[in-house]
Amino acid sequence: MFVYEKKLQYPVKIKNTNPQLASWIISQYGGPDGELGASLRYLSQRYAMPYPELKGLLTDIGTEELGHLEMIGTIVHQLTRNLSPDDPRMGNFAPYFTDHGAGVYPTAAAGSPWTAAYIGVKGDIICDLTEDLAAEQKARVTYDNILRQSDDPDVNDVIRFLREREVVHFQRFGEAIRLAKEKMDQKNVYFTNPVLDR
Amino acid sequence: MLPECAPLAVPFVPFQQTGSKRYSQQDALNNGTLFPGLNLPFHLKAEARNVVNGPLAELQALEFVLLELGLYLDTHQGDAEAFELYKQYAALEREARSKYEAAHGPLFQTATANSKTWGAWLADPWPWNYREGVER
Repeated sequence: MFVYEKKLQYPVKIKNTNPQLASWIISQYGGPDGELGASLRYLSQRYAMPYPELKGLLTDIGTEELGHLEMIGTIVHQLTRNLSPDDPRMGNFAPYFTDHGAGVYPTAAAGSPWTAAYIGVKGDIICDLTEDLAAEQKARVTYDNILRQSDDPDVNDVIRFLREREVVHFQRFGEAIRLAKEKMDQKNVYFTNPVLDR
Repeated sequence: MLPECAPLAVPFVPFQQTGSKRYSQQDALNNGTLFPGLNLPFHLKAEARNVVNGPLAELQALEFVLLELGLYLDTHQGDAEAFELYKQYAALEREARSKYEAAHGPLFQTATANSKTWGAWLADPWPWNYREGVER
């Protein structure tokens, strides 16, 4: 089960309202490479994993991603909490505002609502962990792009932290593939799925 | 030399060595990793990093080290030195948590049992709330 801890992983303290910036950052809440997808991807992939290291790693990273989801929601909230609809920086937050006001809704920056089509759960060790390597890189690039677009140091400080976590997760998933391969490769066959092909 | 049947057609990431250099807990939180070797920042916009402060900062830093060491141990479960370090940080974290909760209220719902009223769990600020000048 999950237990809530009433704190953020990393402090988020944003002074200035900026709906335009919020309309880009919302993508890491409910976009194709965002934190909602990340947490559901890893927490859902766990069930078909045969080895304890992989069950543990997917649980621990998936749980951390839920904390990142909360941090992104917090950024969007703080960027829009003193919003007035005629704010000159409304930008492309305006159509979002029509549907969601100052609520935090899982959507991509361009407006598509979150969908499970963003994530892969294939029930195969090498396949799922390879997806996870790619997912961490895609999230890292999205954070790069946000840093390219944002001029708010309070926001950039948090985004830089989240971006670095993607780098660390990539490393751990890479190590997980090697741990899995060592176990699967004992008969020197190609990496069949030991759950299905006994 | 790779064996004749080399491990082809599978992604390859080098294993992190045991005994890697580590940051202090505050530097780890500020950098987003405990390990300098894994710190690969985005260089296009170098800005001064905010110093993490406030009553919660020490607990956040200790908890972050535990999380980071936990992921490391998931793929390095035989690293006894890292596990020892985990135990040391866990003790520091327990101490910092009870100090914080005594002064600022419960972080876990069950800790509300130590408070005078249930309102301690409900009390603002929730983690996403921030008002300038009100430190948390």
